Amino acid sequence: MRNEQTLIYLQIAQMLEDGILRGIYPEETQVPSTNELARTLRINPATGAKGLNLLAEDGILYKRRGLGMFVAPGAAERIRAKRRSEFLQQYVRPLAAEARKLGLTAEELQAMLRDACEEEE
Amino acid sequence: MEPKILTASNLRKTYGKQTALDDVSLTLEPGHIYGLIGRNGAGKTTLLAGLTAQIPLDSGEVCYDGTPVWENETALGELCFSRELGGKLAASIAGMHVKDYLRAGRLFYPHWDEAYARELIKQFGLEEKKRLNALSKGMMSAVAIVLALASRAPVTMMDEPTAGLDVVAREDFYRLLLEDYAATGRTFVISTHILEEASTVFDRVLIVKEGRLIEDRDADALLAQFCVVSGRDDVVAAACEGYAVLRTETLGRQTMCTVRAPAGAVAARGLDVDCGAVTLQQVFVALCGHEQEGR
Repeated sequence: MRNEQTLIYLQIAQMLEDGILRGIYPEETQVPSTNELARTLRINPATGAKGLNLLAEDGILYKRRGLGMFVAPGAAERIRAKRRSEFLQQYVRPLAAEARKLGLTAEELQAMLRDACEEEE
Repeated sequence: MEPKILTASNLRKTYGKQTALDDVSLTLEPGHIYGLIGRNGAGKTTLLAGLTAQIPLDSGEVCYDGTPVWENETALGELCFSRELGGKLAASIAGMHVKDYLRAGRLFYPHWDEAYARELIKQFGLEEKKRLNALSKGMMSAVAIVLALASRAPVTMMDEPTAGLDVVAREDFYRLLLEDYAATGRTFVISTHILEEASTVFDRVLIVKEGRLIEDRDADALLAQFCVVSGRDDVVAAACEGYAVLRTETLGRQTMCTVRAPAGAVAARGLDVDCGAVTLQQVFVALCGHEQEGR
């Protein structure tokens, strides 16, 4: 079961979240404005605004009057917490479903996960 | 000059036996970029011409800021309709020099921005001394674009502005459009059937089919109403049960259906199918393509 996301404003939100996690936008720094997003990504400014507002609602960005949107203190941790809560649904369940489709046993899958985790470290 | 609301009520237009507009009503809210989508001959050009009082309608009324626009010079100065220049040009303009065609824009539109027009002419490399009928397709599109953008009309309609442009020029056009939109907040209505680069630019979508307006919606809201469901044919059929299936493609026993249902709702049925989001192009093809057999 796959559920792809192609709504542009969600992609924008995710792109900015990834940027925050990578340290491209540290806390208290400004993120691109709706017009910058519009011009660079060739999207409607309303779409960019929707993505930014979504992150503001989640407390990841906050608005400074007349200046623009800034990364909130603790934003990276908040994003990690949110993504952790979605991890089971977004990654683990599809992984388990694919494993079942391929006839992999739970033990085999666990072994693969253990190896993959070790490689990452 | 702030854009105002443009409303159209029950527009009807026939050419002989053919119905070009069939009871079309719509409201253009200020400050959006509307995508007007439809197949060739669906009525896009007639609708744009009707909205800007460039053709007489059989019935119905168009109002700008509450005032009927027909023979209303003040209102019409606020509404720009830049016709597509391509194919066989009307005899009245074919021999016109580019310069004179654009001068007409300057005379007609009170908000005309000559400095901006100069800048755009340079950007597109337009030769103003040439006659319209001597221009390449791409340059004809450029003339129509310059007229539309430099009119600075609060409500600006463009008919297939990118039809003659190559991919690079199409991207340039949408960048210019977004820059101007960001700076002015004008209302734009852009008709097109080339959706690859356009779909991210529109925030509202109007779809016309056989003279009728079949969709008038926020672009994201429209896309969220559809999904593509794929998997084994019988499982897909079960997953789509009760929803309108607009398009079905089969590949052996594998079936892909474009369905009018939110992806989440189909996925929640827990069947072994993939639910994907759709693009505007897929929605357009599903709604305006050939009728499907079956449901």
